[in-house]
Formats: sequence, C-alpha cells, structure tokens
Amino acid sequence: MLFLFITSGYKANAQNHLISGRVIDSLTLQGVSGATIKIKNTTKGTVANPDGSFKIEVSAGAVLEISAVNYHPLQVKANLSAPMQILMGSINKTLADVVVVGYGTAKRSDVTGSVSSVPKARLSEIPAANVLQAMEGTVAGVNITSGTNAPGTSPSIVVRGINTITGSSDPLIVIDGTPFQSLSLNDINTNDIASIDILKDVSATAIYGTRGANGVLLITTKHGKAGKALISFSSYAGPEYFAHKVHPMGPAEYVQKYADYKLEAGVNNSFPVPNQYEQENYATGKTTDWLKEISQQGFIQDHNLSISGGGKDVKYFVSGDFFREKGLLKGFQNKRGSIRSNIDATLASFLTVGANLYMTLNNSDGGRVNLQQAMQMSPYGRFKDPDGNYTIFPMSGDLAFQSPMLGLTTTRNDRRENFITNVYAEVKPLEGLKYRVNASYNYLPTLFQYYQGRLAGDITNGSASVSNSERNNWVVENILTYEKNWNKHHIDFTGLYSAQQNREYSSNINASGFINDALQFNALQGASTFSASSSYIKTTMVSQMARINYSYDSRYLITATARRDGYSAFGGNTNKYGTFPSVAVAWNMSNESFMKKAEFVESLKLRGSYGLSGNQSAVIPNSTITTFSTTSIPSNGKPTTGIVADILGNGDLKWESTYGANVGVDFSLFKGRVSGTIEGYKTTTKNLVLYRQLPAATGYLNIVSNVGKVGNKGIEVTLRTQNIVSGDFRWETNFNFAANNNKILDLYGDKKDDLGNRLFIGKPIYVIYDYKQVGVWKVGEDPSKQDPGAIPGDLKFADLDHNGSITSDGKDQTVLGQSTPKWTGGVTSAWHYKNFHLSVFVQTVQGVTKYNQLTNFVDYGGRQNVVSGLGYWTPTNQSDVRPSINYVNYLTYGYPQKASFTRIKDATFSYTMPNSLADKLKLSALTLYITGRNLATFTNWFGWDPEANYAATGDSSGNYPLVRTFIIGANITLK
Amino acid sequence: MKKYIKLLTVLLAISAMLNSCKKDFLKETVYSKFTPTALKDSLAFEAGIVGLQYTYSLWNNQNENQNGNQGFLCVWQMGTDVAYNKAIDDLDPMSIPYTNYEKLTSRDVSIDFVWRWCYLLINNANNVVTNLDQPGLTLSTGFKNRVKGQALFYRGLAYNYLATLFGGVPIITAPLTAPKTDFVRASLDDVNKLIVDDLTFAKENAPTVDNLSVPSAPHKAMASQLLAEVYLRTGKNAEAEAEANAVINSGFFSLVKNRYGVHVNQPGDAFADMFIFGNQRRNQGNTEAIWVQETENPASVPNGAGPDIDSKFPGYHFTGSQHRRVWGSRYYNTPGMIIGDSLGGRGISRMALTYFVLNLYDKNDMRNSQYNLRRKYYYNDPSNALYGKLVTGPGIDTNRNIVPKTNKWDQFDPNDEFGSSMIKDMIIMRLGETYLLKAEAQFKQGNTAGAAASINILRDRAHAPQVNSGQITMDFILDERIRELVAEENRRMTLMRTKTLVDRVKNRGQKITGLTDKYLLLPIPQSEIDLNKDAQLTQNPGY
Repeated sequence: MLFLFITSGYKANAQNHLISGRVIDSLTLQGVSGATIKIKNTTKGTVANPDGSFKIEVSAGAVLEISAVNYHPLQVKANLSAPMQILMGSINKTLADVVVVGYGTAKRSDVTGSVSSVPKARLSEIPAANVLQAMEGTVAGVNITSGTNAPGTSPSIVVRGINTITGSSDPLIVIDGTPFQSLSLNDINTNDIASIDILKDVSATAIYGTRGANGVLLITTKHGKAGKALISFSSYAGPEYFAHKVHPMGPAEYVQKYADYKLEAGVNNSFPVPNQYEQENYATGKTTDWLKEISQQGFIQDHNLSISGGGKDVKYFVSGDFFREKGLLKGFQNKRGSIRSNIDATLASFLTVGANLYMTLNNSDGGRVNLQQAMQMSPYGRFKDPDGNYTIFPMSGDLAFQSPMLGLTTTRNDRRENFITNVYAEVKPLEGLKYRVNASYNYLPTLFQYYQGRLAGDITNGSASVSNSERNNWVVENILTYEKNWNKHHIDFTGLYSAQQNREYSSNINASGFINDALQFNALQGASTFSASSSYIKTTMVSQMARINYSYDSRYLITATARRDGYSAFGGNTNKYGTFPSVAVAWNMSNESFMKKAEFVESLKLRGSYGLSGNQSAVIPNSTITTFSTTSIPSNGKPTTGIVADILGNGDLKWESTYGANVGVDFSLFKGRVSGTIEGYKTTTKNLVLYRQLPAATGYLNIVSNVGKVGNKGIEVTLRTQNIVSGDFRWETNFNFAANNNKILDLYGDKKDDLGNRLFIGKPIYVIYDYKQVGVWKVGEDPSKQDPGAIPGDLKFADLDHNGSITSDGKDQTVLGQSTPKWTGGVTSAWHYKNFHLSVFVQTVQGVTKYNQLTNFVDYGGRQNVVSGLGYWTPTNQSDVRPSINYVNYLTYGYPQKASFTRIKDATFSYTMPNSLADKLKLSALTLYITGRNLATFTNWFGWDPEANYAATGDSSGNYPLVRTFIIGANITLK
Repeated sequence: MKKYIKLLTVLLAISAMLNSCKKDFLKETVYSKFTPTALKDSLAFEAGIVGLQYTYSLWNNQNENQNGNQGFLCVWQMGTDVAYNKAIDDLDPMSIPYTNYEKLTSRDVSIDFVWRWCYLLINNANNVVTNLDQPGLTLSTGFKNRVKGQALFYRGLAYNYLATLFGGVPIITAPLTAPKTDFVRASLDDVNKLIVDDLTFAKENAPTVDNLSVPSAPHKAMASQLLAEVYLRTGKNAEAEAEANAVINSGFFSLVKNRYGVHVNQPGDAFADMFIFGNQRRNQGNTEAIWVQETENPASVPNGAGPDIDSKFPGYHFTGSQHRRVWGSRYYNTPGMIIGDSLGGRGISRMALTYFVLNLYDKNDMRNSQYNLRRKYYYNDPSNALYGKLVTGPGIDTNRNIVPKTNKWDQFDPNDEFGSSMIKDMIIMRLGETYLLKAEAQFKQGNTAGAAASINILRDRAHAPQVNSGQITMDFILDERIRELVAEENRRMTLMRTKTLVDRVKNRGQKITGLTDKYLLLPIPQSEIDLNKDAQLTQNPGY
C-alpha cells in the first residue's frame, strides 16, 4: 500500500522521469529484497520488490541512495535512459548468503531455525566420490561414519543423535526441491552440487512433516547463468593404498600357535600343522601370503565436463561425469556415469518453466575375494591345485574353510540406474505472489546377477541367481508463495499441497544344476532346479503445509509453520494423518541502535524455536495388517506350498513424533575476523515404533507398536576465524564441535529395560553391554567357585552382583560404553599465499566403544589362522588380557574396546593460476591440486579401522580396509 | 484484469489438484502376502495343513540357533541313559545344561525354542480351525472336519510336548487379533483333556493313511499312536492299549522283516534297509512307516532340506539338520580314513552312545549288526598302506574319531562331502514303536504276558532271543525302546513321560552331574514370564 502511495504520488510531476532498476547482491547475483532506494536530498524514496526490482520517478541528475540491512550503503547516479543494475556488497558474506530452507530460500540473516551449510570449499576443492565423504566432519551435529571403504558403498549419516530404534535415522534428502529417492547417495555426482544446507532443529524440519525428524539435507545443483557459455573440465586420479594393515599370523607364528593349542587341548599328534594339505606344504616349505594374494593396487579417477550459460530467457547447465574406482582387494570396483541437464526458461514476464533431468548408471560388477577368509587361511594352505585352479579347501582335510580366492571364479553383476526427471512451472500473477508446480518422476531399476560354478566349490553343479527390482515414484507439488514489504515490515507466506506415490516391484530367481559353467545366468533354462520369489509394495502420501515469516526492520523475525501428512502405511484404525506445527523467533540484535556503539560486533543474532516433526520410516508398509505368508516342504520329490501365520498387524500404528527446542546465537565480530554459531537443543521423540516382543504363547514373535520414548540433547559450536590477513598471506581456520547425549526414556510403557535387545532406560540407544573383564584366570587359581565352567587361561570377569558366581542372566553384565560418539569435532586450517593454498582437515570422534570382532580369538580348536600381534595366554607366559588359545567363549563375551580416534582426514595443496597467466593460455581459470586422504589415524583401537564394521565370522560386505588415497587433479574453465 | 485472470487460473489449478485426490488414495493394499479373508477355498485350507507340517519340521531341521550353536538334538539324548559327550572339543554349549544339570536355568536357549515352536503350531492350527468357521465358505462338512482333524492333530501334539516338558501351560484355542500379555497356566488336567479331545477328533475325522494328498500329512493312525502315548502319560493304560491296537489292526502297517529297496543287492539286513534314503517312505516299500518327514536334496528341490531361515526364529538356520553330525563320528580325522558313503558321511562326534547302550544287545540281535551299529572301522583310503585293515592300536583317537555309532543317520552326498545338508527322511512314527507303546500299556495293566508277546514280535523280527513275562519290567521296556528306537525316539521325553529320568541315568548315564527330581519338568522360559507382564506365569518348582 505504501509502495503504491509513494509511486502514485509522483506521477503528477511531468518533469520527472520514471526509471526502473534492480538491486542485486554483488556475490550471489540474487535480488536484494527490501532494499531502500532514496533520492538524495529529498524525502522521496521506495522499497525494492522481493526480487530487488524497483521503479521510481526522478528528476534529471538525481542521485540515488541505496541501503539495505547487512549491505554496505551506496550512492549512484540515476540513469534515465536504461534500466539500472545496482550491485550491493554484503557486509558479511556469510550472513548475506542465501540458504535453502525447504520450499524456498532465505537470507542467512533472516533464518530463524537451525540451518547449517556445508562449506563450499569442501564441495568445490576436495575430490569426493560421495557427497557424504565431502561432508564428513565438517558440519557440527552431522555425524558421518564410513563403515566400509569398499568401492560403491556410501557412508552413514546421523543428524543430531539417533531418535529412532526401528526406523531409519537417515535424514530426508531433497535435491532441487524434490525428495530424493534412491538406494544410495552414491547416485549423486558431487561435481553437480552447488550447495548443501542442512535443516537441523525441529522448527526447520517440521515443514517436512513425517519425514523431517532425522534432519533434512537440501542439495541444490548448479544452474546456468546468463552470459557466455562456461565450459569447465575437471579431472582427478590417483592410487589407493591400505591406510592400515592387519596381518594374519605368518608361518612361524602359525606353527607355534598350533603347538600351543595342542599342548593345552591335550591333543597328541606329531603334526606341526593340522591338516593334510598344510602338512604337504609344510614339508616342502611352501607358504602363501593370503593377504597379498587378495590385494591389488587400487586406483581412483573422475572426469567431469560441464557447460553452462544462457541468454536473458533461457539458461542451461549440462554436465557429464565418469567415475571409476578400482579397489584394493581383487574384484572390488565401482564405475559410475552420470548426465545432468538443468534448463530454465522465462516464457513471459510472469511465467518461468524448467526441467532438471538426471541420469546415473552405477556398476559394482565383479566376483570378489574375501578378506575375512584370507585372515583365516593357514599360510601353509594350498593356493592352487595341480590343474591350475584355486584350491577350494586350502586346508583340506578340513572342509570348513574355503579359499578367499574363490570369488574371483564367480561372475557377479551388480548394477543400479537412477533416472530423475523434474519439471516445474512458476507463475507470478501478481506482485509478490508466486505459484509453482513441481512434477517429478523417478525410475530406479536394479539388476543383480550371480553365478558360482564348480571352480567356486559349488556343490549343486553351479548355481545362478538373478534379481531385478524396479521402483517408480512420482511427486506433484503445488507451492504458493506471497511476499510483501511495507515500511519496515516484511511478511511472506508459503503454502504447499503435494501428492506422492512410490511403487516397488522386485523379483528373484535362483537356479542350479547346470551341465557345465559356460552359460552361467545367461541361460537359466539350462538349470535343473529353480526357485523364485517376488514382492510388490505401493505407498502413497498426501501433504499440506503452510509457513509464515514475518520480520520487522530485520530486527525481529518470527516463522510459524504447520504441515499435515497422510501416509498409506499408517494403521487402518488411524485417520492416516499427522500434523506438525512449529514456531521460531530470532532477534538480530546487532541491528538495534543501542548496539551501534559496540563497533567490534558486526552482527549478532539470537534464535529460539520449538516444534514437532515426525519419522514415518519406522512404519514399514504392510506391517499394520495381520498376514499369512507362504512356505514349502518337499513332498513326493516336489515342493508343496504351505501357509503359515506371518505377522500380527497393529492397526493403530502411526509415525514417531519428535518434539524439539533449539536456542542459538550467530555472531560475527571484528569485521568478520571471528564468526560462528553456538547452539543448544533438546528433543524428545515419543510414540517410538518398536517391535514389542510378545509372549511366545501368542504364536507371534512381536507386534510393531508406538511405545518408546527417546531424548537427545546437545550442543554445537561452529567457529570461523581469519587468524592472519596480511597482504598476500592469509590463514583461516574453521572449527566445529558437537556433543550429543542420547537417552532412552521409555521402551514398552513400563519403564523396564529390554535386556534381549540391549536397550536400557536412561542409556543411549546403541550401547555396549557385556561382562567386565578383570583379567585372566592364572594357573593355581581356583575359578570353580566364581565361574564353574572356567579353567586357567579363561577370561576372568567381575562378579558384578556379588552373588559369588558369573551368570548369564544379565546380572553380571553392564553397560560398558556407547557405540555412537559422545562428541565429535573437526578443524580445517587453510593457508593462502598468493596463488598457493594449503588446507588440512583433522577430525576427531570421541567417546565410542565398539565390539572388536577381530580380537574375538576363535581358532575353532586349532583349525584356522588368526590375527597376528594379539598374543594369547599360555601357562608359561600368562597374559592378563588375552585368553588362552583354547578358550571356549561360553558367555559370548564381545571384546569391547574404545574406538575413539583422531584422523588427519585430508590435506590439499592447490595452485590457482593468476588471471594474467590464464589469459595467455586462453583459459578463464585453472586450478591444479594434490590431495591426500586418510593420511594418519591416532587411536588405541586394534584392528583395521575404528570406523570399520569388520565382522570376524561370516562374510560381510563391510570387510574392507580403510583406504589411503593420493590424488592429483585439475579444474579448467575455458574462456 | 489480466492479473485476475492469471490469479484465477492458479486457483483453479490448485483446486483441481485438491479434488483429483480421491479419498482412497491413502488406502493400503497388501499385495505379496495373504490376509485372513484371502484364505477361503479348499486349496488354502490344504495349504494351511502343509504350513503346519512345515512348522513341525523346524524341530528336526534345526541347523543352528541364534548363537551359532548346533547341539539342539543333543539336548534330547545327552544327560540320559543313551548318550554322552566323549571329547570336550566336540561338546556343543546347548547340551551342557542337559548333562551338567546344575547349569540348567530358565534362560536356557533350548526351552525357548521348544516353547515357541509349540505355540507356533498351536496358533497355526487355531488359525485353520477358526477360519473354517468364517461365514460364506462353500466347503462340505466332510472336508471341513477332515482339515479340522488334521489341524487339531498338530494342536494336540504341541500341547502334549508342553504338558510332558513343562506340565500345565496356558491354553489358547483361538487365534489372537490383538496382543495378549496376561497368560496364566492352566492345570495339567485341563491341558491333558484338551489334548485327548483334539487327538480324538483327529483320529475320528482325519483321513486314513492311504487317502493323503501329501504323504506326511496327519492321518488317523498318527493320531491314535500319539493318543496312545498321551494315555500312557496320564495313566489311562487300557485306552492306550486300545489306541495302539487301532494302529496295529488298521491293516495299513506291518513290520519290515525282509530285505527291500535300493540296497537290496548289497550286504545288509531288513532293519537297516528301513533307514536308507530311498527306502524310508511308505511308497518306497517301508510298510512299517506311519509318519515320515520327507527330505530332498536342496540342489534339486528348493527348501528340500529345510527353509534355511524362518522369521519366527531370528538368527536360527534350518537347512541341514544335525542328526548325522551329532550321531556320527570324526573317523576321517584318522590318517588313512577319508569321508565316504560306507561310513555314513561326515559326523562330528558331538555325542556317543553310552557303554550301557553298547552292552545292551544280545549278540545276534539284528539291531546290533554292523549295518545298524558300527563298532569297527577299516582304513578306507586306497592310497594308504593300511587300506582295508581294521583301525586299531594305540595312538588311535577313540574319543573323537574311532567311536561306535548308530548307522540310522548315515548319509553321504558325493557332491557335498562336508555335508552342509542332510538329505535323509526322518521316520517320526513307525509300527515298531507301536508295539512298545502297547507293551507298556499292557505292563501297566499287569498283563506282563501280553507285554512279552508284544515285545517278542519286535525281537522276532530282530532275530533276538524271545523274552518271557517274568522278564518284563518297566526298565526292560525302556531298555527295549533303546534297542529298537535309539537315535530315533526323543529319549529325554520318554524318560520324562515315564518319570524315570533320575533312576534310569544311575549307573547308565555318563558324565552327568546335578540331576534331581526337579528336572522331570523343564523351567518355563524366563523371557516368557517377563514378557507376560499383566499376569503371573508361575515357574516350575526349584528353578
């Protein structure tokens, strides 16, 4: 209204010229909403529209005074002949940053909730195959763990502590406004990413309703900008090595182990090594280094080409990428190719349309060696048979241990494709009013083919397995936004209505009995035995959301949101809808007049929020309905189908609800030399979905129910400092720290622990609960009273309940630690001298205890090799820590160990070519760099890596060493 | 005006979107599993009976439990008069509390399995029985009663396991539609009455053995045989004898007295022929078989040797039952010995027959022949200098390797020397046992002459000396059960049923400690007591 009044008031004066223009941020090139345009030495003025545009009548020679919160004020001469473009420099880059907040963007200074951004340097300067790898350790409160380094795998991510037991703790990932549906974050080409913002507090995540409780990762891909075509090529490559190697026992150690075993077990034979094949090799002195045999030189490379640009009306960004990693262990590899095309077109002044198309092909083919089996193999085991094939059982006569090499004789295809199409239309019918419709379709096929033949020791004359799955998802979102500024008031509204459907069909065929191994899974009709399975699941979702932001003078800000989600998988007895309100307030204290005197304070903002968000992932589709499943028994030589009761459905099942409060302060001091954020939060998750165990007399194992309650509280600190800024030399550090306290408040409504599932009231969700080892029974000690089954050389445990004996009823076990970190931190230190840059990133993860499977000394009665360097108790050399080699672990003690570590995660040295030199080479920009990753780890953990999920028994895909990589790369932009 | 047209377009688009979402957009449909209403026709009910057979088979097919332990079968044999562990290296943790009884607590893993397994059978039987009553079924009364009889056979069987092992237990006769945590133990009399009712309905309504579409499905004789055992346990000896007679006189079964089947041209005897894969089923010539659980090579029939995993027993594996391994020996660990067909494949000496059993047979008793009970081993590696010679002398490991063993579970697949699967049918009921049940019923009624006559029928077949009525005692009957049924019967349950466990192990069992009368009942699983939070499930005395 005021705006209309001001402009109409000047229309009468015929001497004046109506001029137009746009105020834009000099860095982001985004419009500066609410900038004030005043004609110097008059009282006349106007306020810019949300996109920064303005119109004003001026007389010839007028000078405009432009001001806006957080921008350096400036004066420019009015241009009467052409539209003006006014660039404003922001006072503090961080505060002026635009962050994505879900269904829209906001200036950092206007954000009321807890939203963190991944430092852009991590995205653009550090080569990373996976987006989470780029993020690891850099954002306070976002904990990323690489359980395995196997090519093609993705790390896990937890935002602000775990608040679910049954459900997924993965955050929701939204790419360019559309929920990302994927089987792996590996599908994303990190080169395409422009920015990553993370919604952490409940007020910020509540706008994603039943999917917000684990936090939300908002990824924005690169889009074209108007101008000449920008052609960029970036490429990196480098070798991979074991970051740390754990060795199995060598020949001499192995022989000694068997001798010690025999002595203790009372086995009386004259063999130096247990089995026939070993004895043969022992006689000829032939040994095999199995770890070496399964290893190869790893190599990683990535090549990316992007072209972007556009005119006034059409802008484009097109990129292609090829990534390849050859693993450290034979047969492990990952290839990925991706193509992206982002196109935005302005069809009319009020209408913009666009399409983001993305395709990625992922390939992890390859029959693989087995690290765990290599660790078990005797160094005297037979490597190859006389016919040149790998020996199936290298330690034959013992037929329990297969060769780790056999996987190389198998054929294994593991492929995944992801096609994402996302189109939108945006209409601006009225000033400040915008309607946008997003439609997204996503197609995700996977293929897994496997054949193991006679050379792999298959006893069924070759067996083949083929699995196909296909996911088809669509989402339609209608978003209405309205924005208005008047005087010092700003208000904007966002409304959403969306619908979504996911379908997943999968099928699997197993076949065996082939006349030979020639045709493999390519002609299943040649098999003699078949079995097959398939499944189909469909889920649907409907959502409505409204959000209002109001601010006064950029000093007082308030955001209120509400979302309502309906999800098909919620119980049939519920109305299937959940509502999630939240409110957040912020006070930009530095904009108050009384703060003007505190000149060292550049900006200071206090924030507070409270809200409710949900987690629907714990509600597995079809779990609310009582069902029967099929099974089969053989009858007269054929399978016959039977039906058995499957699950007892719970028609009342609904989402998990997280109530959360957050307080924070954002600050920038001493002209931006010190800036950062300090936040504290407390959340309580109710209606936790748990599989409540039922008495077996019900005929069911459990029923899925909303019963539990979990609390998380924590503190997060992010600090950016410019330590030295002097001429050509700069030194900056970026420091983050996060501590989280996770606590189970209730489980099944009765405040009782769940011993069976290791869940304890008042303790974190993931705890290490075990006996407390106090030593090893010595020769001469009498264990019979305290531990009737024990003999000297067995582990000695504390009698925690002081009843005189070690019992397995849980009373002699206790919580020894948590397997999620108590606190994490990261420091990035960057030194710049002229065109040379060095950046070193150190991360630390503290307060973690994990079961150390590798030290669970199991040699199955002298039958297999074990890890070297651990040692074991013998009557003549009585260890206080390690049990005897013949120890039978009746109590299934898990050997917990502290798994805290500090790691020099990466270091990058780069050279940016000065413009003068680049010009001579006809380049726009050139950066050359060398990066080392996983350079050094400081830990007390014994094993491959404290982060790794290594399994000592049973094959696990997590059994892969931590990888140290050295990479050389170049980023080139053509002129 | 143009502005308003644009605005209107937007509003129309939004309202169209809102309307297009029908109310049933959020309705959930289950596509890959059955809901109860989808099970209405005769094929579905037949499949329900197959499902019960499947659930039953989990006991026999158990390969390892959630801790990776494989000694479930030892639980039912060790710590009794028939079997013990010789070498500690081969001892499975599951069997320890069942031989060192002082270690048997309510947290024992084996009782968890048994308890759950019984109630799974009960729930699945209840589902079949209750679904038969749903309105709108177009099935004949005859069909309904036949299926109901077969379902109730399994329910009666499950309650009989519970009653024998635990005493009185909670009675559930209909499927649940909501969680229940207030179970209480019914009296043993009530449980016994339910068992008798269920099995009586089964023997009256289930089909005869020659009228089965699935050979291992319940039939009248199975119900009668089980009922005979139930009556013996509950002291109704005349009724027990009548049920045994019903089986014997049914005309469907006769003892195997002559050589037959796949090895008929190889050395052997009639008793051994019954236990050779390929001979074990009725349609393969085993006239004595009443109930045979079939197995097939999983290489040719999916799930042929068990389902591998079952969602009701997380962590357990059910492919490759352990019979051969627990009863067989590690002879192949002796230099000069290799795994082979003639020695019964790969055993691992988890348990051995007691000296009592080894000395229990008369010399000429067929059941003691080298084809049924191997006492001597001969070097079988042709490349060894001692090939064909008797394995003997000092230095031979007689604890683990060269151990006398029953041949009933011999099995060998040249494609699978390790023996991942055990491809062998399991004879669960046969006529041989019927005579023993009859003898016991006769003895209990004071008819020792009749008992001797019943037993002599078996001894006649075995070419063992006849016995007279003066020799018949309960101990003799239990001895004869060993001679006939060792490694087939669940010895622990026989001794618990007859309440003779404590007496029988004296001077017979080996390496047993801590056995007292309290172990005539097993403890109610502690987890069941804990989970049943709204009522008290009382524990058996002494636990």
